Amino acid sequence: MVIPIEWYLVLSAFLFAIGAAGVLMRRNLFIVLFSIELMMNAVNINLVGFSRLHENLIGQNFVLFTMTVAAAEAAIGLAIVTALYRNRRTLMVDMFDVMKG
Amino acid sequence: MAEKLLFIVFAAFAVAGALGVITRSNVVHGLILLVFTFINVAGIFLLTQAHFLAVIQILVYAGAILVLFAFVVMFLNLREFQQEEQFHRGQKWAVVVLAPVMLAEIVFVVTAVTWSSVGDGFTPEAIAAQGGNVMVLGEQLFTKMLLPFEIASLILLVGMVGAILLAAKEDGESVCLREWDDDDCVSASLVEREV
Repeated sequence: MVIPIEWYLVLSAFLFAIGAAGVLMRRNLFIVLFSIELMMNAVNINLVGFSRLHENLIGQNFVLFTMTVAAAEAAIGLAIVTALYRNRRTLMVDMFDVMKG
Repeated sequence: MAEKLLFIVFAAFAVAGALGVITRSNVVHGLILLVFTFINVAGIFLLTQAHFLAVIQILVYAGAILVLFAFVVMFLNLREFQQEEQFHRGQKWAVVVLAPVMLAEIVFVVTAVTWSSVGDGFTPEAIAAQGGNVMVLGEQLFTKMLLPFEIASLILLVGMVGAILLAAKEDGESVCLREWDDDDCVSASLVEREV
């Protein structure tokens, strides 16, 4: 391997930490969704790096499934965003503190 | 050597873009920076000889998923939220301390472990001899990974149905900001005109 596996893992750790920080500290629901996508990408980098290390393609196949889940998650997440905005007229996550309605 | 240099450049851009995403107050700026990050991740996939994934990363992630985000961002009137507080007030400082701690933990573990290769033989040279990354990946996807592939199609179907169900309008209901406060309620038609 030309690029050591640790580099992939460290880069992925950076992106994951940034994504986790974004989920925890931002109030805007959109930025929270963006951060989730960032974390999913961090996982993808790990999978691709390990696929290269182990010299097989299972990791790369798995990235395809992760992307499928990310697409479904984005669609449902955005549907929830529009439903929430229609019902509550806000997108700040700390305003959504009751389950009903 | 050139590969290592390119990796560092792509990685630095990706991390910088990601930092931008979680700090900008304008959602559209965050979206563009996210596209930038994803394109740099695609560059890293290319460096790893994952050609198909690099293309899919740009087509599906930077193309389809983020265009979906962009559509919804444009549907909703987001300008009014820019004046509001963007960060959780107390939680922000906890995160600023704890996220680097988590990062340091992961980096410590990752660098402490010695990673050994299984060595299944699919080196980039072997893959190129068998017809290229796309060919070999597709072959494995439709043989070894056939059942997960079918389940993935099911997930997409469920996602589509769920999204339509969730976003469908229920008419005739009045809408309240706070359920217990009747003064906040506005009629559904007014909201519909605005949304």
